[in-house]
Amino acid sequence: MTDYSIRPIPQFDRAIIAGAGMAFVVFGLLPMFGSALVVDKLTMLFIYIILAVTWNLLAGYAGLVSVGHQAFVGLGAYMMLRMVEAGVPPFIAIVAGGAVIALIAWPMAAFVLRLRAGEFAIAMWVLAETIRSLVMLDPYIQGETGRSLVVLNAYDPDMRRNTIYLMALVLAGAVIVISYRLLHGRLGGETQAIRDDEEAAGSVGVSTFRVKRIIFVLSAVGCALAGTLWLASAITFQPRTAFGIQWSVFMLFMVLVGGLGSILGPILGAVLFMTLQVIFGDFGVWYLAGLGIVAMLFALHVPRGIVGLLSEKMGREPITMQKLLNPKRT
Amino acid sequence: MTYKTNKGGLSRRSFNSLLGTAAFATTLPTLSTQAFAAAGDTIRIGWIGPRSGPLGIFGEADNWLAGLLAGTYANGVEISGKTYAVEVLMTDTQSDPVRASQATKDLINSENPDLIIASSTPETTNPVSDACEAAGTPSVTTIAPWEAFYFGRGGVPGQPSPFKWSFHFSFGAGDFGPLYVDQWNKIETNKKVGMLLPNDADGNAIRMGLIPALEAAGFEVFDAGPYENGSSDFSNQITFFKNEGVEIINAFPFPPDFPVFWRQAAQLGLAQQLKIMQVAKAGLFAAEMEGLGELGYGVATGAYWHKKFPYSSPATGLSSAALADGFEATIGKQWSQQAGANAALLDVAMAALVASGNPKDKAAVAAAFGTLVADTAVGTVDFSKGPVPGVATTPLVGAQWTRASEGPYPFTLQVTSNALAPDVPLTADLAPYKIGG
Repeated sequence: MTDYSIRPIPQFDRAIIAGAGMAFVVFGLLPMFGSALVVDKLTMLFIYIILAVTWNLLAGYAGLVSVGHQAFVGLGAYMMLRMVEAGVPPFIAIVAGGAVIALIAWPMAAFVLRLRAGEFAIAMWVLAETIRSLVMLDPYIQGETGRSLVVLNAYDPDMRRNTIYLMALVLAGAVIVISYRLLHGRLGGETQAIRDDEEAAGSVGVSTFRVKRIIFVLSAVGCALAGTLWLASAITFQPRTAFGIQWSVFMLFMVLVGGLGSILGPILGAVLFMTLQVIFGDFGVWYLAGLGIVAMLFALHVPRGIVGLLSEKMGREPITMQKLLNPKRT
Repeated sequence: MTYKTNKGGLSRRSFNSLLGTAAFATTLPTLSTQAFAAAGDTIRIGWIGPRSGPLGIFGEADNWLAGLLAGTYANGVEISGKTYAVEVLMTDTQSDPVRASQATKDLINSENPDLIIASSTPETTNPVSDACEAAGTPSVTTIAPWEAFYFGRGGVPGQPSPFKWSFHFSFGAGDFGPLYVDQWNKIETNKKVGMLLPNDADGNAIRMGLIPALEAAGFEVFDAGPYENGSSDFSNQITFFKNEGVEIINAFPFPPDFPVFWRQAAQLGLAQQLKIMQVAKAGLFAAEMEGLGELGYGVATGAYWHKKFPYSSPATGLSSAALADGFEATIGKQWSQQAGANAALLDVAMAALVASGNPKDKAAVAAAFGTLVADTAVGTVDFSKGPVPGVATTPLVGAQWTRASEGPYPFTLQVTSNALAPDVPLTADLAPYKIGG
């Protein structure tokens, strides 16, 4: 009789993980010597990483393509604003404002996850617009005008910048580690089974709704944390911006170019996106058109993204979440 | 004195250090150099504005105005016995509030400007002011209703100002009442006013403030109710106005919505029964009227600057008339209100830097705004008498787009009411609206 064991993590992957750990420590020490400009840019990079990783969790692993996750970015920011107004210290509200979104996403999942593929994508967009309209009705937000998180000017600029930077670093690290752990476990196998064939997954006993709901709520909280961190660094809350479709476009770009359904892909995508933004961002409309062209070229010619290219070179995917099996004699 | 375009606030050098960070370990020592500190005797003004994208028309004059400022201070400016060179760093928001915020932070972090200035619409002024407030850099902004600047960023009526670093001068929502009462009483109407106000902050503020003011002045007001910006169908509102027999319409539309409404109003016969079409927020630029063609002649609007303003701009060294002529000669388009409004921004900025006594001390610059009184292209800007702390108000005049008597431009903007700015001469009587002018 043949049994199978799961292959251990390859040496190269261990090196990547160790390198990531070291990078985390170096980034953690960076505020002591890095310039304010670098700290600000890296804060934004970590926010992008959070967005890309959580969106990839949903689209790349559970097969749920959402173009409405800006709803959670905006809601996270809005919750933070409301909490600070109610007297919660702003740095606590960064985490609390994100976490509380789970309470909204959980019941929401009961409705939207009944929809399939295209319907789900459209429903999420509609929901995002609806939530924006509702938030705009809040007199505190004053319609289109919005509200600024002006209490943050009470803190010393350097202290504030570095605190938000470190929080973004830790949260980005946490989002990566949590999704890695989750995908490595039973949930990872289940989500990929659902993505590949939902009915087949159901027939072998995967509770598809439960699994999709967990992933949906996680992705919502991730986006909300990105929203609170972004508000804390930008301060200005204007509903059309916080709930703007651009967040979904960014997420789509980063994940598509980095590599959908891989753990490294969204991180590489976020780094590439940030680099493009820094170099070409001044070109305005041309920059946006360029992003679109890059995304189209990737979709047509490199559908598995940068990680796909790496995999071809190496003969396997670095840090894959696929279960590789070794025949084992008993 | 220099004037340079800073495309995005990130120099090649700082970008290299950023790349270095991404590659960590090997290049760490270079990161410690804060190489961007400004020279001690150069004043650096960061000017952040919409120069491309949908709001780009507001920033058309900016580079030209910055060049004029460079000319005025070619030999520097003397402050408390010391001569400083003046440098203006230009950054484009691309009409994007997120980018406005990011660009402000980048500029502060990389160039350490002594003062940040910004102009036009809350989408520009609020993110810029917030970023300055957070970074402890003084800022002054203009051309956004001061209520949006103050209340939209967390100021509360009756409480002390929460802002320490950001200052603003502009017209306010409260100015429209007295202006319109004066303007509309210039011709015979049935005093029935239809209000077209969207469900946004401006619309709602106007609804609460302006309608009671008009009613108190003897007008009968018919509010068509809030609508969403970006609507493509106004037939309900138009039918309502027609049925009520209004002869005046007052609209505060998101600018692209106005042509949609106004063309429909003409098709459905509403424009034909009106005597006054008074628009605010839209109708600021001749280009908008040219887009309307025959329907544009006779549309009434408000103006925060006009070439007939009897003031001049010390920072650019030009009178209002010269600003308008210079704009047309340099930009190659009909003068716009932005020429004077943004010249006034430079006037206020230079006045504050001079009044601070020490322009390199950010706290001193911020403190200077408390009592600042500056002569500008839009008149005297007085921060000591503001409606709220850190805010100064500037006047609006009533105006009307009419057929130009001579070329090259088809429209001309006439000053038809000066109730809020009696120094500004009237250039024409308000004419009843008639399609084709």
